[in-house]
Amino acid sequence: MTDAELAKASLIFVPLFLLGMMVIPVRAIFRVPLAVVAAFVVSLLLVAGLATGTLTYLVSFSTMAAIYAVLCLGLNSQWGLSGHVNFGVAGFFAIGAFTSALFTTSMPSGALAAYSKQAFGLEMPFLVGVLAAGIVAAIIGFLVAIPVLRLRTDFLAISTLGIAEIIRLIFQNERWLANGPQPLRGIPQPLSCALAQPACSWLPQPIVDWLAPVGPRNYIFLYFAIVSIILAVIYLLLERISRSPWGRVQRAVRDEENSAAMNGKNVTGFRIQTFVIGSFIMGVAGALYAHYTVSIDYSHFNPLFATFIVWVMLMLGGSGNNKGAILGAFAVWAVWTGTAFLIDFATPAMQAISSDLPSRSAYFRWLLVAILLAAIVLFRPQGLIRERKLVSDFLARNTRRKA
Amino acid sequence: MSANEATASEAGPAGIPAAGKRRRDIAARLRSRPVFAGILVVILVLFWVAGYASGSSFGELLSLTVWGVMLGGILSLGAMGVTLVYGVLKFPNFAHGALLTIGAYTAYVVAGLLPQGAPLRPFSFGWELIVAMIVALPVVAIVALVVDRILFRRLRGRDASLVLFAMASLAATFFLRSVVYLIWGSDFYFYYPGRANPALHLPFDIRIQADQIFVFALAIALVAATYVLLERTRMGKAMRATANNPDLAQVRGINTERVIAWTWLIAGALAAAGGVMYGLASQLRPEMGFFLLLPIFASAIMGGLGSPVGALVGSIIIGIAEQLSASFINPAYGPAVAFVLMILVLVVLPQGLFGRSGE
Amino acid sequence: MPALLTVDTISAGYGDSEILHDVSMEVHEGEIVSIIGPNGAGKSTLMKTVFGLLHPKKGSIRFGEHDISHHSPYRIVEVGMCYVPQVANVFTDLTVEENLEMGAFLLKGGDIGARKERIFELFPRLKERRRQRAGKMSGGERQMVAMGSALMLDPKLVLMDEPSAGLSPKMVEVIFERIAEINRQDGPAILMVEQNAQLSLQMAHRGYVLASGENRVEGTGKDLLNDPEVARLYLGG
Repeated sequence: MTDAELAKASLIFVPLFLLGMMVIPVRAIFRVPLAVVAAFVVSLLLVAGLATGTLTYLVSFSTMAAIYAVLCLGLNSQWGLSGHVNFGVAGFFAIGAFTSALFTTSMPSGALAAYSKQAFGLEMPFLVGVLAAGIVAAIIGFLVAIPVLRLRTDFLAISTLGIAEIIRLIFQNERWLANGPQPLRGIPQPLSCALAQPACSWLPQPIVDWLAPVGPRNYIFLYFAIVSIILAVIYLLLERISRSPWGRVQRAVRDEENSAAMNGKNVTGFRIQTFVIGSFIMGVAGALYAHYTVSIDYSHFNPLFATFIVWVMLMLGGSGNNKGAILGAFAVWAVWTGTAFLIDFATPAMQAISSDLPSRSAYFRWLLVAILLAAIVLFRPQGLIRERKLVSDFLARNTRRKA
Repeated sequence: MSANEATASEAGPAGIPAAGKRRRDIAARLRSRPVFAGILVVILVLFWVAGYASGSSFGELLSLTVWGVMLGGILSLGAMGVTLVYGVLKFPNFAHGALLTIGAYTAYVVAGLLPQGAPLRPFSFGWELIVAMIVALPVVAIVALVVDRILFRRLRGRDASLVLFAMASLAATFFLRSVVYLIWGSDFYFYYPGRANPALHLPFDIRIQADQIFVFALAIALVAATYVLLERTRMGKAMRATANNPDLAQVRGINTERVIAWTWLIAGALAAAGGVMYGLASQLRPEMGFFLLLPIFASAIMGGLGSPVGALVGSIIIGIAEQLSASFINPAYGPAVAFVLMILVLVVLPQGLFGRSGE
Repeated sequence: MPALLTVDTISAGYGDSEILHDVSMEVHEGEIVSIIGPNGAGKSTLMKTVFGLLHPKKGSIRFGEHDISHHSPYRIVEVGMCYVPQVANVFTDLTVEENLEMGAFLLKGGDIGARKERIFELFPRLKERRRQRAGKMSGGERQMVAMGSALMLDPKLVLMDEPSAGLSPKMVEVIFERIAEINRQDGPAILMVEQNAQLSLQMAHRGYVLASGENRVEGTGKDLLNDPEVARLYLGG
């Protein structure tokens, strides 16, 4: 095995270890060594067994899926924990992405300033950008929550859908804010200096020596490790939260709003808290997305890509269940990417029907995802994994009716 | 809603009693319909002032207002369908915008198949567009019915929750929209590309196209026809009865599934007309329906979900507000203006201007 | 005389829970039959099962020569049975007249006008308020609208679920008078469930006492009124 392959394996080790910690069903003491061994073996096998191109593809696929998993966790903490129907995920996702971009990029100067406009560029580190993204999204979430969360479920759905559209309109039309209809470019890749020549000075030399063979072209391996750590942290915090007394109150509020109010809990306050937490997580997801794609514009945050598909993921994974949310994200993203191959395969047939059709094949994927959502709603509304003891509102109703 | 509100106020901070009481008094007064209607009028007047301050002339503002009424006509065709479906089926149908889009494109195809006649001056369109629209009405009505049969009827059979209905309607939206993209691509189309459509000059410096007057007149006629249908016919009364009390409707021997089918047919046909009218007034693009969805819902909610008259009044208010706002902010924010007004209605007067509040 | 309605050892309930156990009863043509029993005895469940809003898990329900055990409500209306629910029994958004028209929904065209007039004769108060929305009327008036709508199709049997619930004593008297009159005039049989056992048994030809989802006692109205056990248990005597 070459140095480069070993270094790659060590980077893939991180997400695999975290995955092992999440899924290996033994007690915590045994889980750590088991996860270490399993991740070690699998990462070496992957690097040795797969062609370089395939491996890179798999890693970049997983990175995007992991970003969606963060979005799903955000949505789950609103819908699963409190029963908020937020059809405006795209809005909070966009706010997070643009906030982090503005915090970490530099103000365009010289000739570039004529083409590229943005409100500010603070050149802050990545983690500051991520935190700022979460905080700004949370603040917007709070402001939105005050009038909107009192509404009935159906009105809440319409309102959040509208909020996301307005946020998108703002980023589309306000050139001074984040370059309007033009993409905002040059969003930095965190720790990319670790792979660059010369490497950043503050990193310890052994790490630089170890990672250097990976090369800047394979930066995605490093970014995947970063995203997976952030995903794991959010997952752990949410699990912690939902088991805490606070989480129990949330479920009480969700299931029995009136009796919770009678027990002296400030229901509106609690409902706002989960909405804000969810918005924060969606903002973080936006930041992760911005630093992944490096260049963003308003069109990325359309209702299909950033709201609709997230709901499909959560519904498939089983709402109310954080593991299910992550699984759903990977499964649906796999279907989405898989359809690309299907389209390639079907291109000759499409060509035969109409010469215009192949150029529109992307919409064929939308069609399939729409059918997938319809199928979930019709045949498996409880998702792949059920919420263990804490069933969401509509599930409780459904199971009772079926019985 | 009432439960929500009750708990919200119960759970509110105890605060200083006097201040709390005064706040509640003000809130209660705001919640009456005449007062709220007054607030809306004040908002529109402020829009006028803002437009005037931004340099628009009196004639321009008057024209914008008239255009707003015309836009309201188009919106009302969509809002009427949303309100009917909501009344009978009790869920927000997000696929309604897509029905408008399908209607516009269907008419485009049909008009293309017909020989193009001379424009019916002063209008910019010929008889073929009218024929095309008449063909589009049943086509979209049937599309709406098929969507119901495939998706919503099964959910009804399971007594599914509102969220599943809303999700299903989102799925239908994206399905229909992708079909439009697949067949027609993402290009813009015009019913009559490049054809001159001069504005008429009316007193008070109002400039308006004859087409706009036609659009509004047709919208009013269709809304009026729907109103008569609901008030005077046996099926219309059965629709109102089912909307009011579905269980009792069954007990009285009304076949509610047939009522629901008629609701979709009517909503679909109205949406088709709305789509064609919007296509005539601007252009055809796959996103047109989704773009209109927010103003349509805002109109239906402002008028009071379930109330056809409310849908018309709400649409005209939303239409005027959107057009007038273009005189002082970027016209792209039209949907945002509709949205803000919608939130205002939802927070202050959730039953809308004409809706019934509970029993 | 053959029975109009035969309920033959049915068991029914919601979901897994069974509320009625082997209940049997009959209603003959032109009869007023009253079902009394304490709260939770399953009286309303029995009504809903007879009317097809619930389906029996066991046993059968026959109406004339039809087996209606698994008919949906609107087919039961077609064979000549109508139902006056206890609550939410009028279309509040519709006018009195429209409510009556909805009662005759299955009748296409024809003599709806004449039938309306007959209902107005029975309940003159409704004629005065024919254009008023039912939601704006008093409880007693609503009960009249509900009964009137149920009579629009000239049914052979009318089911009434607690017609006196929530009404003032004076209004209860009026309503019971009307029920007796309906029965005398056109002769539809009436099957009602009542909390007000005393009053309903006085009027009924026969009665059944239901408790814990089972038939306990049956007999003529007078017999039941005089039955010491019934009196002790349910008449608050």
